[in-house]
Amino acid sequence: MVAVHQVLPVFAPRDAIGNHTVAVRRALQAMGLASEIIAGEVVAGAPGGARTTRHVHPGRLALAEPTVWLYHASTGSPVAEWWAELPGPKALDYHNISPPEVVGPWEPHVGVELEHGRRQLAGLAEVAGWALADSAYNEAELIGLGYRRTAVVPILLDTAHLADCAPDEALLGALMDRKAAEGGPDLLFVSRVLPHKGQHELVKALAAYRLAYGQPARLTLVGAVGSARYAGALTDFVDELGLGDAVTLTGSVDAAELAARFRAADVYVSASEHEGFGVPLLEAMAHGVPVVAYAAAAVPETVGDAAVLVADRSPAVLASAVHRVVGDEALRAQLAGAGRRRLAELGIGPSTHRLRDAVNRILADAGLTP
Amino acid sequence: MTIEETPAPAVDLARVQAEIAEEVRRRRATGDYPPGLERELDAMFARYAPASASDDFDDVLAFAETQSFIHADVPTASRRAPLAYVKRVLRTFMAWYVRFLAQQVTAFAGAITRAVSLLGRRVDALETATAVTPERALVRGDAGPDLAPWLQLVVGAVADAPGRVLHAEAGAGRLVQALADSGVDAYGIEPVEDTGLEAARAGLDIRTDDVLGHLRSVPDGVLGGVVLSGCIDRRPLGEVLALTDRAVAALAPGGLVVVLSAGPGAWARGLDPVVADLAPGRPLHPETWVHLLSVRGLAVDPVRAGPGRSGILEPVPDTTPGAAVLNANAERLERLLFGPGPYAVVAHRPR
Repeated sequence: MVAVHQVLPVFAPRDAIGNHTVAVRRALQAMGLASEIIAGEVVAGAPGGARTTRHVHPGRLALAEPTVWLYHASTGSPVAEWWAELPGPKALDYHNISPPEVVGPWEPHVGVELEHGRRQLAGLAEVAGWALADSAYNEAELIGLGYRRTAVVPILLDTAHLADCAPDEALLGALMDRKAAEGGPDLLFVSRVLPHKGQHELVKALAAYRLAYGQPARLTLVGAVGSARYAGALTDFVDELGLGDAVTLTGSVDAAELAARFRAADVYVSASEHEGFGVPLLEAMAHGVPVVAYAAAAVPETVGDAAVLVADRSPAVLASAVHRVVGDEALRAQLAGAGRRRLAELGIGPSTHRLRDAVNRILADAGLTP
Repeated sequence: MTIEETPAPAVDLARVQAEIAEEVRRRRATGDYPPGLERELDAMFARYAPASASDDFDDVLAFAETQSFIHADVPTASRRAPLAYVKRVLRTFMAWYVRFLAQQVTAFAGAITRAVSLLGRRVDALETATAVTPERALVRGDAGPDLAPWLQLVVGAVADAPGRVLHAEAGAGRLVQALADSGVDAYGIEPVEDTGLEAARAGLDIRTDDVLGHLRSVPDGVLGGVVLSGCIDRRPLGEVLALTDRAVAALAPGGLVVVLSAGPGAWARGLDPVVADLAPGRPLHPETWVHLLSVRGLAVDPVRAGPGRSGILEPVPDTTPGAAVLNANAERLERLLFGPGPYAVVAHRPR
């Protein structure tokens, strides 16, 4: 049996790349291929069936069956070097690397890691026979780095069931009660709290919205803290603006709380300047929440015509875009419909089909057949 | 999930975007978005940003120096008391080893930061010697260039600009005021803090910033227009080219660049001798601007000459016999000696 084993630096729960890796394994196995997940670190709570690099003897695996090694690149890691030394053909799946020049000033050690990741990615162009990318935006970066054979395979995401989880009813009730009591819209953004995700720009936009439209809007920022320093600055900034009651930083939340947050939201708003794909944008569509987003990186490609994109993330522009979306029923309905179509286009079926095509080409180049 | 038929969109998203831009412009004009709101919010958040996020060399170096000391006494706090005890014991036993490493790393980091500090001083000295420091490039006359003759031209040119209009450098904000009065959504960048603050206090959206630094922070394709004046006459050529690159990149389709220059003869004919003597750059010829803007893909209108002559050679009264010939010769001589006077170049980015 031919194998396509996946290698990644960290395999963690509630992580888009982790979930993608599991979905890829399922798709590979459905193709009749053997597939294991091997990670530098397996975090407690991660979906089962993964091994760490310390417990794997690559030579033994490769001897057992002809193997293609698929590496998931999203940061600098010694695991990439481990993968590069493996025997047999290799492919890389690129999920983008955050911009070190934005993250580094806040978290110098992370910046160094990301810088290393970018250099490492460039160096791996000679190692990887093929490179997959979540988006054409990511693919363009790979081509710019000298990767010769590339294909776009979106994150494998069961978009049909993104909104299936039952919400935390108690929380949802409290959020809706507050909305009824105070009036004004609820703005939501979901991502790790990091400077390039632009949470501070959303706080500015909230301040501008409340000032210009005189409505008590609220902003919820869901996501684990990726930079403690940035999160601290964000909290201080919110306090100085007197928006402590209007801005909620939830940290990492479970699926039920996330569903409640989406159900209570009137608009999903993103000021992120760097997205290699943007899974939460699709989650918002799945919940029928209209999207306003800064048109940066892969965001326009991911949302298609299912969002109001703004070319400028200045507070006034974001605030007025939010106001328009909140108050325009026809626009909301159109975005909801376009969102459903976009989810279908990026659903697990079409994306798996693209993965199978890419894997077949990788195997053919390696002289292997499933 | 079922895939629906794709109906013709009832709402044109491009039109929605245009209406949002118009809404922003209208609310800025009425003061719902007060002038300077974005500047104040940016400044407020910047106070919480780490020094290393700054582009200022001294700030970054100071940050590096504070980070170069490596602590050997690792924290031992833990939510579980026994674990804190274990950590303290481990720290005690490992102190000799960790301290030895920390001292070496600190020494290494200190040596590096000192080397960078010395290098910075040498660069400072070099810049001082070659007069290209930002401080010197900021030298200008108190009033800045006289833009009064150009107000009407600029207001007319940017009336239908597809987005905000930036004036760099804005000085006391006369042009920004004129643009705002005519309903154009305009803001200015002024590098001299006192001048910028004075304009901001007068209710204008003028931000104190370095012009090139600001343009670098503006995303591509978002501005309706960029008016360049002052800085382009006295900045070093490399910086003028970088300014031009960024100004063009920042334009939305259909946007325009307006260059208001003192003209290449300005220094020679004694206009603002302090600036002329100290500035690291010189005003360019209009042909150069036409070239710079057209090679960057803009459609350039015919150059507009400023009103009047440069004024060194007095014209003879029209009643003087042969006045027409004399004055034509004087004008030709003046142009040959001192180059063309002030001029404007308007260039459009194709839609």
